[in-house]
Amino acid sequence: MTERMWRPRSLQSSYDVVIIGAGIHGLATAYYLGKRHGVKKIALLDKGYLGSGNSGRNTAILRSNYRTPEGIPFYDASVKLYEQMSQELGWNVLFSQCGHLTLAHTDSSLIGLRVRAENNQVLGVDSKLIFPDEIKRMVPAIDISSRARFPIMAALYHPPGGVIRHDAVVWGYARACDRMDIEIHPYTEVTGIRVEKGRALCVATTRGNVAAGAVLNVTAGWASTISKMAGVPLPIVSHQLQACVTEPLKPFLDKVIVSATLHVYVNQTDKGELVLGAEIDPYQSYSMRSTLPTLEQIAGHTLDLFPQLHGLRVLRQWAGVCDMTPDYAPIIGRAEEVENFYMDVGWGTYGFKAGPIAGQCTAELIATGKTPALIQAFSPGRFRAGRLVGEKAAAAVSS
Amino acid sequence: MDIRFNGKAIPIQEGDTVASALYRAGQRIFTRSFKYHRPRGLLCCSGHCPNCLMNVDGIPNVRTCITPARAGMAVKHQNARPSLDFDYLAIAQQFDWMMPVGWYYKNFTNPRMWHLAEAQIRKVAGLGDPPPPDAPEAVYEHAHMQAGVAVIGAGPAGLNAAREAASQGERVVVVDDQPRTTPGDSSYTLLSRSYCFGLYEGNLLGVLQSEPHSGARERLVHIRAKRIVVATGAYEAPLTFKNNDLPGIMLSTAVWRLIHRHGIQPGTSAVIISNETGDSAIAAELRNVGIAVVATVPPSDVLEATGSKHVTGLRTRRGAFACDLVVMCGHRIPDAGLLSQAGAKLEWSAEAGAFVPTELPPNITAVGDVAHALVRAASTLVSMPNKRTFVCFCNDVTSQDICDSVAEGFDHIELLKRYTTTTMGPCQGRMCQLQAIGICARETGRAIQETGVTTSRPPNPGVTLGALGGARHHPIRRTPMHYQHEELGAVWMDMGDWKRPRYYKSAQTERESILREYHAVRQAVGVIDVSTLGKLSLKGRDSGKLLDKVYTNRFSDLKPGRVRYAVLCDEAGIILDDGTISRPLADARGYNTGDPGGTRSVAPSVSAGTIDDFFITTTTGNLDFVEQWLEWWLAGAGWDVQINNLTSALAAVNLAGPKAREVLSALTSCGLSNAEFPYMACRNAEVAGVPALLMRIGFVGETGWEIHYPAESGEHLWSALMDAGRPFGICPFGVEAQRLLRLEKRHVIVGVDTDALTSPYEAGMAWVVKHDKADFIGKFALGKLESAQAQQSLVGFTMNANQIPEDGAAILVNGALAGRVTSARYSPAVEKAIGLAWVTAGAAAEGAQIEIRVAGAPVRATVTQRVFYDPDGARLRM
Repeated sequence: MTERMWRPRSLQSSYDVVIIGAGIHGLATAYYLGKRHGVKKIALLDKGYLGSGNSGRNTAILRSNYRTPEGIPFYDASVKLYEQMSQELGWNVLFSQCGHLTLAHTDSSLIGLRVRAENNQVLGVDSKLIFPDEIKRMVPAIDISSRARFPIMAALYHPPGGVIRHDAVVWGYARACDRMDIEIHPYTEVTGIRVEKGRALCVATTRGNVAAGAVLNVTAGWASTISKMAGVPLPIVSHQLQACVTEPLKPFLDKVIVSATLHVYVNQTDKGELVLGAEIDPYQSYSMRSTLPTLEQIAGHTLDLFPQLHGLRVLRQWAGVCDMTPDYAPIIGRAEEVENFYMDVGWGTYGFKAGPIAGQCTAELIATGKTPALIQAFSPGRFRAGRLVGEKAAAAVSS
Repeated sequence: MDIRFNGKAIPIQEGDTVASALYRAGQRIFTRSFKYHRPRGLLCCSGHCPNCLMNVDGIPNVRTCITPARAGMAVKHQNARPSLDFDYLAIAQQFDWMMPVGWYYKNFTNPRMWHLAEAQIRKVAGLGDPPPPDAPEAVYEHAHMQAGVAVIGAGPAGLNAAREAASQGERVVVVDDQPRTTPGDSSYTLLSRSYCFGLYEGNLLGVLQSEPHSGARERLVHIRAKRIVVATGAYEAPLTFKNNDLPGIMLSTAVWRLIHRHGIQPGTSAVIISNETGDSAIAAELRNVGIAVVATVPPSDVLEATGSKHVTGLRTRRGAFACDLVVMCGHRIPDAGLLSQAGAKLEWSAEAGAFVPTELPPNITAVGDVAHALVRAASTLVSMPNKRTFVCFCNDVTSQDICDSVAEGFDHIELLKRYTTTTMGPCQGRMCQLQAIGICARETGRAIQETGVTTSRPPNPGVTLGALGGARHHPIRRTPMHYQHEELGAVWMDMGDWKRPRYYKSAQTERESILREYHAVRQAVGVIDVSTLGKLSLKGRDSGKLLDKVYTNRFSDLKPGRVRYAVLCDEAGIILDDGTISRPLADARGYNTGDPGGTRSVAPSVSAGTIDDFFITTTTGNLDFVEQWLEWWLAGAGWDVQINNLTSALAAVNLAGPKAREVLSALTSCGLSNAEFPYMACRNAEVAGVPALLMRIGFVGETGWEIHYPAESGEHLWSALMDAGRPFGICPFGVEAQRLLRLEKRHVIVGVDTDALTSPYEAGMAWVVKHDKADFIGKFALGKLESAQAQQSLVGFTMNANQIPEDGAAILVNGALAGRVTSARYSPAVEKAIGLAWVTAGAAAEGAQIEIRVAGAPVRATVTQRVFYDPDGARLRM
């Protein structure tokens, strides 16, 4: 008899922790709450199917070559958790640590990359600047010639970076949660949160109300609308981020290629498809409908890097909604307004990379009440205090 | 008339596709399948399925069944070694027990094992070979059309709709994938050999036209239509039974096409699988061309097909039949992807045996088969689990795989799709989606409607990167003096879209050339082209009010004839841009303009004496942003302000150095003495006969004038300055020398020395924030930042030893990360390497010792708050 990955459950009237959003962050938090802190009475609620949000819409690029002393150790810890994930979950998440190249086409982007290389090296993360000859050796298919309008000047090479199978991460965590009797409730949309005397008491859903000891908002795309249900305002604006995938070719590209100047990133899956992504659309939107101009931009810029691929067909494009904070760093912590309302939101375009470590830290925060050092810089209160994190400077195209 | 297939000549006939020519020549195996490398032959002949993908003229994954054959085409098979007929990797079928659905998730959980396994998988994955990096490029283009009504599909229903709309006087465009020509009544525009791949928001249609008349390979046409009529018809999808993928098993529409379009007899004895009782239409077609119809059986009676590289028979409940052709009268599926993209619901119709579109959005209609599948062709929707019954031809997903996945919990159609990869291949779900839904519904005991369909996503059919990218124009902006710089030996750098001289090659090395330019400015006179600066004129009574609101310092009190440094912050107090704002004087002839280029065209009476005019310069890269930012804050304010972007209309140079005044005085009658033209003043005057706006400012730290003048006189004034300056040793200088000169003055470059977190306080420019103004953008945040303890500050430093750090180098204090270098150069004035750096607050004190990484090793440096060159600014006022 085939063993089910996870089982359908009936919704109970009360849980110790109610997690809104069953994507990678929610699942990781539930997993660590159960595994490390012994919290078992947990419900994960999701308005769609498992992983239907940004967990299944991102381009699954992992890296830790960030810019700031806050961002670098945080993402480094995340990559290390990803490295162990297949073994830990007994489920291969297909992490391909193939190496990650961020290209510079201008003087100013080269300096930006050098700042990252330097800071990474000082903080023990493997990344360095390499120059066109070495780039060409690593990626023979790429055009380093001067015929390009903005020829490639250098790249930040980050060997631990790579790609993973995003759905597999969701499924692996979901299975592990299910084995701990943590309940996963897809198609259970949250419609309200009852707050009394500064405590969230009850979460209303399309399948009934559930009482909660603690509530965690771990949604993407609608984080501010969920927090607003609890009376917690968030400084978030939402933008669309789009990506597309092509027909398969025989594998020829085994590095992740990112170009901030060209606003594009490219990698080739183990099946041979190219996955191409853009930066966020310039206007705010909650729409999930993809657009032709962005697809054209992605295609044109991919050809700037790989002109020989002009005959390759794109098979589908899609969009996700990204919650952008003023400093392009996430919001993790307990709400100042509601004592048992927690948030792990505002993940912009970089949420997938951070899933495991954010889940681990958020679980620790909920279980112990103490804020782990790795997420102190990301507290919800920093906007009022004026203590912004400096990742915006490195986040133009942040995959 | 031949094409070459794997080097062999294959004759072609009029109207042939590549596939029909190959089929006529006896080719039966066209591809090998993705996972098991099973032989596959023609299936749909409509460009839907993956069975005929080949490399044509170097382009991989070409659908040969819809690609017109042209003499000389080079066609090669793909994904089979050594040949289509014998493929080593067909051995994979023997190991299918090792590779059930999701096998890669359940194995290789050890990262090292996975690393090894992945390398092997990547050796065999994929379909076509990627073209080599030096493969020839092709021409693609974009076009745009507007239509009252756009009709997708020129079948009977589509053409009816088109004629009807045209008769009502609408402008009608019809899109059709066949090579039709416009009929006699050209009441509408026909785009033939074109398909619509996406219906986007705002009734935007993405249409791909192959081989347009222009000679491009493909043209992407954007059609904006008030109303869209979708007449895409229905397509046929295969039936599922064991070995349903053998060559020789074809859809009835494919057989029809081979017979009627290409005059091919696709077999000698055929079995028809059809639900129709009695003699089917296709049976008559077969007999007409001399094919014996051995039997017609309903899908529910089919057990399996037999054969290894081609079908040899069909085993059914009614007995076994030998045949060399199996004709599947498959599911007729409304081609409703565009409607679904537009927001229509797809509802399962048991009667039609298909999902049909309902709840169409406004201005979108569906006509013909797409609106309601006509024939219920196949009753047995769903096959039993079997490891040789193929649901997904693209990725070799079997009915067994689908059933296993549902049992594992992937019981939502979207999860099933992602786990099995069915619908994710080149057919984009056309061949497999209905089957997958049917099996999922049966296995879960849910209704088909409840099981639902996956989201339809554009582009469908797929579109090439080339067509999407279009002509890929990358504009280059050149200043009016570009070719003079070229003659002077400019070495170029990109700055946004602009080309600027980095330096002029005047010596052996770059360093010597730059130093020569540097010394000319410090000791004699230099001139730099600054035409790339953003240049905006503001006119109107409320211009000062707008500037006071948007910039941090005050401009409403700026006196005519004066220039002031300007910083722009966002609401969070972060520096977005800087530049100068000047308020020109009415000139001697009585006219004042913020824009010197306008002095010729603006009649004196119109603007005489207005003192509401300002002239803004922005940094090169931020012009567009600043212009939009000003417009944004002006919108709705009801103020009298007109913003004009004069960037391209004006050339600009900066003439600087101790001899600048002497050079300039030879070309203008304008008084240049300190009394007549003090530092931070501006004047309208003629220079070399050209009306110009002169500003006395000093970015590089010497006496100098920035001269803005009409672009058409760009070369003339430059030449005049060079001629007048020759006796004084004038030297043109580039961006590198300018950066070194300003670094000695500690002048900040926004975007180089500042980043997305820099406020004026941290940058040491507190004086540009005027808190006593009533309101301005960023006031609230800047008020907080003023009193907050800065976490880091921008400081100067000198290197203790003789090394020059690179821009971006890390700064360490006690071995810990404590900042970064923004700019560092060797300073001839200090005779040491100097620079600007961000350091943590604790390391910002005068004389503090820091370490800077040079080639990875820490080197000592000393922090200074002092200006490196001419700290009192005496030379600016000489």
